[in-house]
Amino acid sequence: MRGILILMGVSIWVWILSLQAFPQSEYEFDLSEIEKEIEKKPYSIGGFLEFEPILFGLDQDAALYRLNFFDRDEGSTVEQYNLGLRLEGSYQEDRVGIYFRTDSLLRYDYLGWDWEIDLLEGYLSMKPNPSLTVDVGKKVTKWGKGYAWNPVSFIDRPKDPEDPQEALEGFYVLTADLIKSLESPLKTVAFTPVIFPVLKDLNEDFGERDHINFAAKLYFLLWDTDLDLLFFTGESRTTRYGFDFARNLKTNFEVHGELALITDFERKSVDSQGSLSTRESDVLSALLGIRYLTTNEITFIVEYYHNGTGFTEDDAKNFYRFVDRAYYTFLVTGDSLPLLRGEQLVKETFARANPMRDYIYFRASMKEPFGILYFTPAVTSIVNLNDQSFTLIPELLYSPKTNLEIRFRGAFLAGTKNTEYGEKKNDYRLELRVRYFF
Amino acid sequence: MAKILTIFIALIFAAPVYAIDGNQLLKQVDMNLTPESFESYRKLINIEPDGKKREYILFTIKKGNDKVASLFLSPASEKGRSTLRLGDNMWLYIPNVGRAIRITSLQSVVGGVFNNADIMRLDYHVEYIVEHIEDKGGEYLLDLKAKTGAVAYDRLKMTVDKKTVVPTKIECYAATGLLIKTLYFKEMKTFDGSITRPAVVETDSPLYKGYRSIMIFAKMKKRDLPDEAFTLNFLPRVETLR
Repeated sequence: MRGILILMGVSIWVWILSLQAFPQSEYEFDLSEIEKEIEKKPYSIGGFLEFEPILFGLDQDAALYRLNFFDRDEGSTVEQYNLGLRLEGSYQEDRVGIYFRTDSLLRYDYLGWDWEIDLLEGYLSMKPNPSLTVDVGKKVTKWGKGYAWNPVSFIDRPKDPEDPQEALEGFYVLTADLIKSLESPLKTVAFTPVIFPVLKDLNEDFGERDHINFAAKLYFLLWDTDLDLLFFTGESRTTRYGFDFARNLKTNFEVHGELALITDFERKSVDSQGSLSTRESDVLSALLGIRYLTTNEITFIVEYYHNGTGFTEDDAKNFYRFVDRAYYTFLVTGDSLPLLRGEQLVKETFARANPMRDYIYFRASMKEPFGILYFTPAVTSIVNLNDQSFTLIPELLYSPKTNLEIRFRGAFLAGTKNTEYGEKKNDYRLELRVRYFF
Repeated sequence: MAKILTIFIALIFAAPVYAIDGNQLLKQVDMNLTPESFESYRKLINIEPDGKKREYILFTIKKGNDKVASLFLSPASEKGRSTLRLGDNMWLYIPNVGRAIRITSLQSVVGGVFNNADIMRLDYHVEYIVEHIEDKGGEYLLDLKAKTGAVAYDRLKMTVDKKTVVPTKIECYAATGLLIKTLYFKEMKTFDGSITRPAVVETDSPLYKGYRSIMIFAKMKKRDLPDEAFTLNFLPRVETLR
């Protein structure tokens, strides 16, 4: 713990030093040099190198701590060190292009060393004309207008609401974009069909195997409002329909929303014995949000999310009580089977981000306060409205020089017993993330 | 009687100045600065009081009065970030996020002294009306007022060179009368054989004392662009138009 705090302290000191002034000098430029710089090459390669130490402050009374640490004592804090490499590139020749994005991660924490390499995206793109594009390969579609959540994003992996701007891993698809511009209140119409196979070794983590699924999005820009109609059908998951919109009500005030109807959804329920039961019904998920910019450049994002597929407060309480009893059994008898059953139950239920019904997301970020360029402090909070537990995430983002970005943030979790944030394994988390882009 | 005669004579001599249609002149300024449909590259340089600088390179396409799209080509941390403006609608595409999001049109897309109004500017005559024009010898001084509250600068004082009919200096004011920044147009250059305009726009601001921002134009050329290039779905593919 001491090491990680020293590391974070040194980094912050370097950061403060970089804010100090040096003597002024003139800058000269050469127009012909600039013209050379902008010469287009058919290929491009870039990405970033990232170092991220994290300190977790453990909550030794929490249900998820007990599931993870019942047979080990790691003290009150654990450290994690992540070294990552993002590599992305493209090759474009006339109307055909190839694109890829990979993530490589080397991690060290209390479990030892671990590493993984993921292909996030890799696809071939053909553009016979500006109105038509056809893409085939692994791709992120990212449907929806929400910032933290996207209930209408039917064919994507869910994003992390605590870091919603981070890249996601795509699925293998065949997709097209047909665009038509018009000189009328209806300015744009675009149709995006997607063929989505789920086969052995191809998208098999999406749903039921050996099916070809179909999804589509119809987009309109009508009366200065973005509107999307979306749907997904196939045997891998049940049919679902969606609608979303976004509009600037004023130049500094944007409103957006999403509505998703998921038919025949197998809603899971947990009883006090830790048994799972399912009941099939149609469910609605919805999101309503705003983005507001003040005159002193503070951007507020507020979203309400109703997760129709989520667990009720009773389900959550049953689960946490089951873990309590399992832990008590382990202490008294040494029998870890109920706790292992609890671990399995978490994977099937509460492992995803925000697994319950109703949430509020709040974020306020201020651009370059106190005249410090390239510095953005922010605070984010996610509140579980069902049990009133929440997380609070203050953040400092600074770019001391071109292509170097430093982010320091904490996440503080608060909630009483048997609540989502009260039962997570951490009380707090401190992260330092240094990225060098190339 | 002598008073009336004096006023009459003054009006006769004043007439040539006020006969100039300020809004027509502003349209001419716009036409001289950019063709109706074009592509261009810009290098933006932010210079800080300590001499440190940040450089950005942008590829920009524009069509008609209200369609603009810009793509960051460098530095690496901003590469691929693109912005689309259709009138008052504005979207930002960040490659990592993989999806274009609607932003408030006054929001900055990148840090530094310059803002959206500089990067995604529409023609002056689209956003402003000329309230007053004054003949200053070799130059005209135009007082411009924003047509709506949606514009970043409420008032502009534009100095226009009579011979070339392009601005030499523009002072940008907030609705409160506060001077936000001053733009200086320099180094006339002919692009694509027919577009003669200042290649350099320097900016300073009393709000950022000691900071300067320089915008250098390169490879500006007329280009017929399809309307579909200015759509949300096309935004991630602006690079393919280069």
